[in-house]
Amino acid sequence: MSKNGDIQEFTGASRYVLDQELARIVNISMSLEMPLLLKGEPGTGKTMLAHAIAESLHMPLIVLNVKSNMKLVEALYQYDTLTRLNDSRFGDSSRDVSRIEDYIKMGKIGQAFVAESRTVLLIDEIDKADTDFQDDMLDVLDQMEFDIIEVDKTIRAKHRPVIVITSNAKKDLSDPFLGRCNFHHIAFPDPKMMKKIVSVHFPDLDDEIMDNAIATFYKLREIDVVEKKPATRELINWIRALQMDPDFKPKQLTKGDIPYLGVLFKKSQDYVNAGNYISRRKLF
Amino acid sequence: MFVEFFYKLREAGIPATPTAFLTLQKALSKGLITSLEDFYTASRAILVKSERHFDLFDQLFAHYFEGAEMPDTESLELDEMARALLDEWLKNPKAIAEAFGVDEKSLEKYSPEELLEYFKKRLEEQTERHDGGNRWIGTGGTSPVGHSGYHPEGMRVGGESQNKSAVKVANERRYKDYSRSGPLTHSSMGEALKRLRNLVPSGPKDQVNVEESIYQTMKNAGEIEIVFDRRLKDRLKVILMIDNGGWSMDPYVPVVQTLFNYAKSQFKDLKTYFFHNTVYDRVWEDPSRYKKPFRVADFARKDPETRLVMVGDASMAPYELMAQDGSIYATERSGLPSIERLRFLANTFPHNVWLNPVPERMWPYTRTITMINQIFPMFELSIDGLEGAVTQLMAA
Repeated sequence: MSKNGDIQEFTGASRYVLDQELARIVNISMSLEMPLLLKGEPGTGKTMLAHAIAESLHMPLIVLNVKSNMKLVEALYQYDTLTRLNDSRFGDSSRDVSRIEDYIKMGKIGQAFVAESRTVLLIDEIDKADTDFQDDMLDVLDQMEFDIIEVDKTIRAKHRPVIVITSNAKKDLSDPFLGRCNFHHIAFPDPKMMKKIVSVHFPDLDDEIMDNAIATFYKLREIDVVEKKPATRELINWIRALQMDPDFKPKQLTKGDIPYLGVLFKKSQDYVNAGNYISRRKLF
Repeated sequence: MFVEFFYKLREAGIPATPTAFLTLQKALSKGLITSLEDFYTASRAILVKSERHFDLFDQLFAHYFEGAEMPDTESLELDEMARALLDEWLKNPKAIAEAFGVDEKSLEKYSPEELLEYFKKRLEEQTERHDGGNRWIGTGGTSPVGHSGYHPEGMRVGGESQNKSAVKVANERRYKDYSRSGPLTHSSMGEALKRLRNLVPSGPKDQVNVEESIYQTMKNAGEIEIVFDRRLKDRLKVILMIDNGGWSMDPYVPVVQTLFNYAKSQFKDLKTYFFHNTVYDRVWEDPSRYKKPFRVADFARKDPETRLVMVGDASMAPYELMAQDGSIYATERSGLPSIERLRFLANTFPHNVWLNPVPERMWPYTRTITMINQIFPMFELSIDGLEGAVTQLMAA
């Protein structure tokens, strides 16, 4: 990576274990001013990456959580007709009913555009929305401007935000969408990497707990009758739970006695299935 | 410049676009790329937009920049097939020996490596798909391995069906790269569930109808009147009928059941019934198919708005479907051929689909699939198929 004077470089954050490859991709995307599309299993740290970028570059983070029925305009701005209707009826607010602009609220993308400093814009789980939303949104991000129809005004980005987009889908996104992003797929961390990640969160964790917990965790991930496999987040919470328990002995885990399954498996069906699986394994 | 590299990628089947290539040039000219490592990550992030192509990209990159041998995909494929055969051989030597038309004993004297070689040679001889023949693995034939064309109860005296091995080996290898349209597995569960979630047209009265609110407010002389809309329709009832009678269905039954169980909360009512190969007088509520029979005729009393989802490979001997006493169980002799029962079900529940784990391109080879397809709209049991099935079920 060459140091181009004014270009800020991302090198990791305090609570995030970054691999070199991903760091390079983030930096290239930032200097090319292209959105970075991250795919990968839940729990591989896609969302965390955006937090880490924001932290290390000291930029504010704006998160747009995409919902399935979301319209693009909601992400840009909102014209609050109901409040205006209410104000016009009761007239007891400080807003000026005749000024539509008073009733325009910026959505997440809008906020990133009008922010006074460069921001990190995280668009989380883009795959939830339909294709039209995705394509239209990239148009906006490409041009770095959008119109507010109600007041006939164009909002232009003051600073081009660093855009990180995440997707859980196994299905590919549309071609025009992909064409405008850089792409990276984050693989689920291997046990070695996981150890690093855990030690970032628990700097003084006992080695025995660490090894046993991680080994058990990967074994539990192999159960294939569960819908949602436990991910990094669950592992960290689980270790926290194990630490809190004064009666817990790391040896228990190797014998197939696994406490706090509910921290790892959060769907009742999964919980039951995993429990059955473990008790069956114990018999052998 | 790397124009040649770009074309190599495209030749290999990675859909890299010229725009992306220009972006890469931009990155190069900006001096962002100073080492081969940088170039590797940058070119991959910019040119390759799907993790499915990562492996291919890696191979090509190594080939282009390090002069590594391009792996011969053809022989790799064969290698893995042979290995799969070897695995099967260890489990069930007889079936494999029969598949090759040789004596079990004559293969026994080989070491595993030799066996591998032997299988590979035989596989190379067999370079194309084979359907309806009698020598090799395929469908609808009389070869001891392959699927359909058997009386399902004839071959089996308990235990695993021997057919499974061959189909497993032959199919698994060849559809390896079609994972998206391939049959449903546990790993694609979440994705499939998302498709199924579209089956829900219900909702509380929670949408503000702005137009109507303004109109009513005006009518009310400015007194605010907010009108809420309910999203139409009630929650769905779903009947799931699963063929759990055959070897071919075994891997899919748990997947389908888990899938629908997870989606249960969004249905008003989910009932699961089981049958073997096709439906005669009765279906069963218990998977072992003897405790709780349910008369098919009684379905007439159920709500016709119920969505009927049949899951089965629809592969059987034609007479099982057509003959009046076609059932493979002697106790079921009602005089109505199964196909009439299926028609009855399809007429009772106009919103119906049939999900079939057999890949769609194989359907024409099995007569009963074609026949059942005329009664039920049939979809492949895959993510794409499920999507189509949900659309079909929701169509008015």
